[in-house]
Amino acid sequence: MQWSVIFKKELLENWRNFKWIWVPIVFIIFGIMDPITTYYMPKIINTVGGLPEGAEITIPQPPPEQALLMSINEYGTIGVLIIVLITMGLIAGELKSGVSELVLSRPVTYTNYITAKWASTVLLILASFIIGMFFSWYYVNLLFGDLSLSQLFGAIFIYGFWMIFVVTITVFVNTLFKVPGLVGFVSILIVILIHMVTSIFGRFLAYSPANLSSYVSAYVHTGEMTADMWSSIFVAIVGIALLLLLSINILKNREI
Amino acid sequence: MLEALMQINWALLAPLIVIQVILMIVAIIDLVRIEKTNGPKWLWAIIIIFVNVLGPILYFILGRRQ
Amino acid sequence: MALIKVEQLSKSFDGKEVVKNLNFELEPGKCVALLGPNGAGKTTTLRMLAGFSKPTKGSIKFDQETLSRDIRQYIGYLPQYPVFHNWMTGKEFLMYVGQLAHMSRKEAGERATELLDRVGLGDVEKKRIGKYSGGMKQRLGIAQAMMHRPTLIMLDEPVSSLDPIGRREVLNLLMELKKEATILFSTHILNDAEEVSDEILLLKQGELIEHGSLDKLSQMYQTARLELDFRSLPEDAQEILRSLEVVEQLTVNRQTVILLVNDADLARKELLKIAAQKDWDITRFELVKSNLEDLFMKAVNR
Repeated sequence: MQWSVIFKKELLENWRNFKWIWVPIVFIIFGIMDPITTYYMPKIINTVGGLPEGAEITIPQPPPEQALLMSINEYGTIGVLIIVLITMGLIAGELKSGVSELVLSRPVTYTNYITAKWASTVLLILASFIIGMFFSWYYVNLLFGDLSLSQLFGAIFIYGFWMIFVVTITVFVNTLFKVPGLVGFVSILIVILIHMVTSIFGRFLAYSPANLSSYVSAYVHTGEMTADMWSSIFVAIVGIALLLLLSINILKNREI
Repeated sequence: MLEALMQINWALLAPLIVIQVILMIVAIIDLVRIEKTNGPKWLWAIIIIFVNVLGPILYFILGRRQ
Repeated sequence: MALIKVEQLSKSFDGKEVVKNLNFELEPGKCVALLGPNGAGKTTTLRMLAGFSKPTKGSIKFDQETLSRDIRQYIGYLPQYPVFHNWMTGKEFLMYVGQLAHMSRKEAGERATELLDRVGLGDVEKKRIGKYSGGMKQRLGIAQAMMHRPTLIMLDEPVSSLDPIGRREVLNLLMELKKEATILFSTHILNDAEEVSDEILLLKQGELIEHGSLDKLSQMYQTARLELDFRSLPEDAQEILRSLEVVEQLTVNRQTVILLVNDADLARKELLKIAAQKDWDITRFELVKSNLEDLFMKAVNR
């Protein structure tokens, strides 16, 4: 009951400040940008490149699998940046402005407060990510050749966990600092650190959630879920749960 | 040049353009309704209208004062 | 049975003690003013009672039947500078915080309408809070503190940021509120405390230096104020008056001498005697009962 009150308030807020419109659009744009530019690049060069008469540049077009992965790549960089930017004020912003004094002077449990806010952000991000992926898939099919729906769903399923993981990291950092800008900076730093550690100690960290993007690639090419993929997903889920528990405990024991 | 424009498959690009226009309109509506922005409003109006794609996004992320 | 019992409550920030060893009880149905100059630790004390800040030492006990549940259910709190979700309407915000305190949507809606009418915001309930004026926000702040019918309402400096009209309105609201709940409000302005409170907690540099009902306190500080107007002030008057034992403090303002004395009867007798002896030309002799202002100054300055 209390949980759904907070959850609904967050949804309403994200609707009134147009996040429900612009975040999906940003994911759509960054999802289809790469496939479209890749497709048109040779034609653009040939028309405006001032090449001698008769000469033509042929750039090999990527296979459809590769084209879809371009979108995943964008979501791994720009997407992560957007996620951090819209999540960095989720709790820190309320603590800093002082609204939290009016909210948390009610018998609001910290578990409800954090998980409802987390869930509303996850819903926004997942919806945007899925819509973006569908657009990307549609364009890849038109421009580069057939890609099955199961390949698309597999990619969404696997990479969705990374998206949720990034939201959760940012929510966690929200409970550490009061300044949203600092929250954003530290969250990005943590994501970069996870990537770095994973690539340096790759042999020992096959299950790191940061590997989810390479598992998406593997799945899209082979169509098979391997044990390593499941393990990585499992680690992501455990990580998300632990970070949420930690966030709740930190906020509970903090001066507000 | 005209030939090149004819070559472009407008069915492909139309959705992209429509989406961009929606984004821009929503940003402008929000800019009009909002009380205060970080930085002058007119500057954001210019950015939203003239900076392709990135303008409205920048506005939503940096321009809105919560 | 006391509503709240505070024992040895202390709070330190970075080793600096801002609240020192407070002991007091709040009786149900009373309106209590937490009085003290700026920086006395009023806000810190209220924030500890509201559960935002954990005491370094000591305990806060609510009466037994409420112990088992989250005490915030019974508390309404208004911070000194309340901040709202500006994108919500006044009614939406009240309904939101009401539902957070486990009211049903319907119940919260009815209560919100009722409260908005009471604080005079009935006609702007559908307007976004971002468009409210400062005074309107303060009144909305009081409404949100009352929203879930708490038994204890705590208000941090509820009138200090308001203009005289707004101040009047809020003080009247407080008077009405007394019928429904126990009120604890902080202020650094004596008049406000004097006007609406039954009891006073006087804080100075984190310490509770006085606690009691207004009557009891004014009895304890039996200082009286004497005002003498002279046709022309004799040169030796100040010196003579100052040498009297009953006189605690003396101020001269042109032809008027204001005396704070610790025994009104004795002072009156002695003064009249001296005036007759010296043949002072006194045009006015007034014994003013000690007001809280003097008590406040005396307590804070001693």
